Amino acid sequence: MGKAIVITSGKGGVGKTTATANIGTGLAIMGNKVVVVDTDIGLRNLDVVMGLENRIVYDIVDVVEKTCRLKQGLIRDKRFDGLYLLPAAQTKDKTAVKPEQMLELIKELKEEGFDYIIIDSPAGIERGFQNSIAGADEAFIVTTPEISAVRDADRVIGLLESQGIHNPKLIVNRIRYDMVKRGDMMNVEDIIDILAIDLLGVVPDDEAIVISTNKGEPVVSEEDPLSAKAFRNICNRILGKEVEFLDLNNSEGKLSKLIKLLFSK
Amino acid sequence: MKEGLVNFKGVKEGIYIYIKEGDLETIKKELEEKIQQYIELFKGTNFLGIKGENLTEYETKELLEIIREKYNLYVLKDGLPSYLEEDGPFDGIDEGKTKFINTTIRSGQVIEYDGNIVIIGDVNPGALIKAGGNIIILGIMRGVAHAGVGGNPDAIVAAYNLQPTQLRIGNIISRKPDGDISSSEIPEVARVKNGEVIIEPYLPKK
Repeated sequence: MGKAIVITSGKGGVGKTTATANIGTGLAIMGNKVVVVDTDIGLRNLDVVMGLENRIVYDIVDVVEKTCRLKQGLIRDKRFDGLYLLPAAQTKDKTAVKPEQMLELIKELKEEGFDYIIIDSPAGIERGFQNSIAGADEAFIVTTPEISAVRDADRVIGLLESQGIHNPKLIVNRIRYDMVKRGDMMNVEDIIDILAIDLLGVVPDDEAIVISTNKGEPVVSEEDPLSAKAFRNICNRILGKEVEFLDLNNSEGKLSKLIKLLFSK
Repeated sequence: MKEGLVNFKGVKEGIYIYIKEGDLETIKKELEEKIQQYIELFKGTNFLGIKGENLTEYETKELLEIIREKYNLYVLKDGLPSYLEEDGPFDGIDEGKTKFINTTIRSGQVIEYDGNIVIIGDVNPGALIKAGGNIIILGIMRGVAHAGVGGNPDAIVAAYNLQPTQLRIGNIISRKPDGDISSSEIPEVARVKNGEVIIEPYLPKK
């Protein structure tokens, strides 16, 4: 039986959609059948980040309203075997879908044989959030090392618990090791200390993410970037493997490493 | 009428609803069932309000809304007559009823109890703890604590690590000073002395 995982944060702009795209793609590369579902109706983004915008014919609202069959709504990503997208509608709003309909939809996706259903949640804690968590078995909380993001994450964890989704896992996004070292940024321990949940992964602030997002190719499919490694580690942990956390201390660019190498002789 | 969580009681000014401690959803269901059953009887009566054993202000408002909006019954604006209101501050500071909570309290969550509260876990920023009596936290206190709600200045707030956004004891409000303050390594206790909230390290008298 497949597993439905909602990726949420409360605060906007912390990297929910990027995380969804990369985790979904990463799991597919590792041989799983994955669907990523965008529930941000009216402000859809996931299709853009995945580079599948121009292939949308039907969307999630069409599927729940039965205007089309589920299979027609799913967009197959030709670059990665076993990866599908169910896009959000852009012309409607959050009230176009009810939590009960989401529950039904997730059930149908599981019957369709998907191993992982990754649900991208909108920012906020209103209807869109309620929709996104309705059918979820598990939740991943994305936060950045800022007090406001951590505060919102805390609130969302409380709301998830009251909805019966226990033990969410934490993804800390956009960590800058140099700033943490100077004491100018919260470190991961500080965040875990407040939120008191298990850590799933730490993703460094990385230019490669900005570049890949603009190209519509999830960074996880590339070999070198540190953020790609971080997302691959997250995927491996989801699959139940024990993976060491990245040593972000070595996050300096190749050039500076080379210079150091030359001068150390 | 069978005795349950929700009971209608008549006094000379009208009818009020007495609600025993219980799960809010169960209370709502029972309230609606009973109203539906006696709707003819209730039309034309004055509802005075709700007296709950352990209802927050917000929950009381939500229930009143059901009576008012859904069933179109008349609820007096003045609320309960004064003799039905809570009877003064909680007086169980030295010995009295206590609620134990065994989890982390997160932003947006409110714990309200007309007695002492013991929290076995952390209280995060944005959370609110309101107790008629003392508040004891076996963890880090980062939220807002209000001990001695109803005006009892003898109540205390104690925590393994006390870093509250705001502390209220009785009717006195104090807040965290601006700027960085050194956080104490040992447990601390907040109490009122000479009309001010003071925080002192917990030093067991040997």
